[in-house]
Amino acid sequence: MSAILLIAIPLLAAFLSIMMKKTSSYILLAVGIFNVVLLFILPDGFVIIGGFRQPLGINLLLDTYSRIALLLLNSLILVITYLNLKSYKSYGTILMLALAGLNGLVLTNDLFNFFVFLEISGIAAYLITTSNKKPRSTFHYLILGSVGSSLFLFGVIILYAMYGTLNIVGMIRLIQASGNYKEVILPFTLMFIGLGVEAKLLPFNSWVKGVLGNSNTLSGPMIASVYAGSMSFVLGRLITNLFNFQGSLLTIVTIILAVGIVAGDLMAFASTKTREILLFSSVAQASIIALLFVNGIIIWAVYLIIANALSKTVMFLVINKATKDVGSDESQDLRGLFIKNILVGVTFTLATLSVMGLPLLVGFKIKLAFLTGLADANHIWLIAIILIASVIEGIYFVRLLVKLWYKGDKEINVSYNYSFKTVFVIIALALLVFGTYSTPLNYLDNSIDTVMEEVNNG
Amino acid sequence: MIQYAAIILFVFGIYGLFTNKNVIKMIISLNIMEIGLNIFIISIGFNYDGIAPIISSTNDLGYIFVDPLPQALVLTAIVIGVGTTALGLAIAKNIYKTYNTFELDEMEESA
Repeated sequence: MSAILLIAIPLLAAFLSIMMKKTSSYILLAVGIFNVVLLFILPDGFVIIGGFRQPLGINLLLDTYSRIALLLLNSLILVITYLNLKSYKSYGTILMLALAGLNGLVLTNDLFNFFVFLEISGIAAYLITTSNKKPRSTFHYLILGSVGSSLFLFGVIILYAMYGTLNIVGMIRLIQASGNYKEVILPFTLMFIGLGVEAKLLPFNSWVKGVLGNSNTLSGPMIASVYAGSMSFVLGRLITNLFNFQGSLLTIVTIILAVGIVAGDLMAFASTKTREILLFSSVAQASIIALLFVNGIIIWAVYLIIANALSKTVMFLVINKATKDVGSDESQDLRGLFIKNILVGVTFTLATLSVMGLPLLVGFKIKLAFLTGLADANHIWLIAIILIASVIEGIYFVRLLVKLWYKGDKEINVSYNYSFKTVFVIIALALLVFGTYSTPLNYLDNSIDTVMEEVNNG
Repeated sequence: MIQYAAIILFVFGIYGLFTNKNVIKMIISLNIMEIGLNIFIISIGFNYDGIAPIISSTNDLGYIFVDPLPQALVLTAIVIGVGTTALGLAIAKNIYKTYNTFELDEMEESA
């Protein structure tokens, strides 16, 4: 058994499922379960493909970092597919393509291979957004995504011309040996912008509003949780190991991300549409995660990605199902949504409070830990910005919760089936349990990412 | 020198994407951008007087070879570009079906 199966099996199943379109979602469920089981038995280390040892050939790296990312994205795709078995039957093949692309993106240790997986997962993402029935926003996403990945490829090729390798570990070694950071500023900037498009970082994310603002129970959680989570993981890996921002580039990136946090929360504050509130909140969170990686707080950034992906899955599923049944996503029109759906309301509230970082929920523990980490690194002004953003976040989320809990002029009927409720309860319980009993979170530390270890070991 | 031409094409493509409001013209601009990028990739491995990197039975000593890796990369990049273009055109068809126009400006109100 090798980690290559995590990519090969979904890809093979995607091709086979074209002939069996009706059963494609069930094939995806089987593939998802296979991948999750496989992740528990695969050993850590490099997977050499075709017998070409490093730095020749393509190889994959499976360590604790990529294992966590893969577990999260494979299980989330599994859950989202299960919940949409009836409503989006024909999307099985596309979701398998997305699974193969995202798994490859997390695992690969080769920059060109990274670009290929970026495009595969990108094409799958454009296809997933076609379920919104808003071709204009899908087209906008396609254009921005293609420009982003072209810029990324541009950066990769410049790096190849400079160092003669595409292997990430090998390249880090050569960059360290050359000791001249100035000459890699241009390729790193191009690559960061390219990935920033997919990772929803401001100002490269103008596609988000059209795509997530019209999302449904499939595209919402897929783009906001699975894609955002995976892209944050891969961006984090590249930021901490390859980019390793220094000097003026570090200052510019930090300012862009800090502005992204405040601007994301302000846009959410100004919006009255529930889906827009959630999507702008995701934009702000994506910037916080990238900022933590830039400052080397890896483990808490990883926990933040997981907590956000889980919370946003619940939030987008609740809101998108309600929007579909009510026909509007204006918070005014969804007044009193939770009066008849108390259980769903409680889980939604717990997820929201966790994103806000309130005590007893895992979001609080994570926020406290990364703010302490930033304080240790003497970044007081970053702490101030995050706290100001948290206050804005608190205001718009509480405002939203009040609207959803209190009765409006009209009575609205939205029914969530048992599978939806089960998923909501499990996620809410997980957020609560790890918030009150957070000792397991301390078992892991920044050493989960082993790329630098490999670089130093030669 | 060839790299300057590639970068100019790439910039033309981006300029086209920013200035055009027609869906089909935007896809063409995207293609121009990708062609610029592909030429840039090829130019990285190019050598004057270089020959194809094939080991033959005759004595190859003394010959300069072009770097074969960028050629392999550009093949993949072309295939991906074709895939993206095909998807873009399919979405363009869908846009026309929905809004009855290819102009992004004209579909503003109905969007």
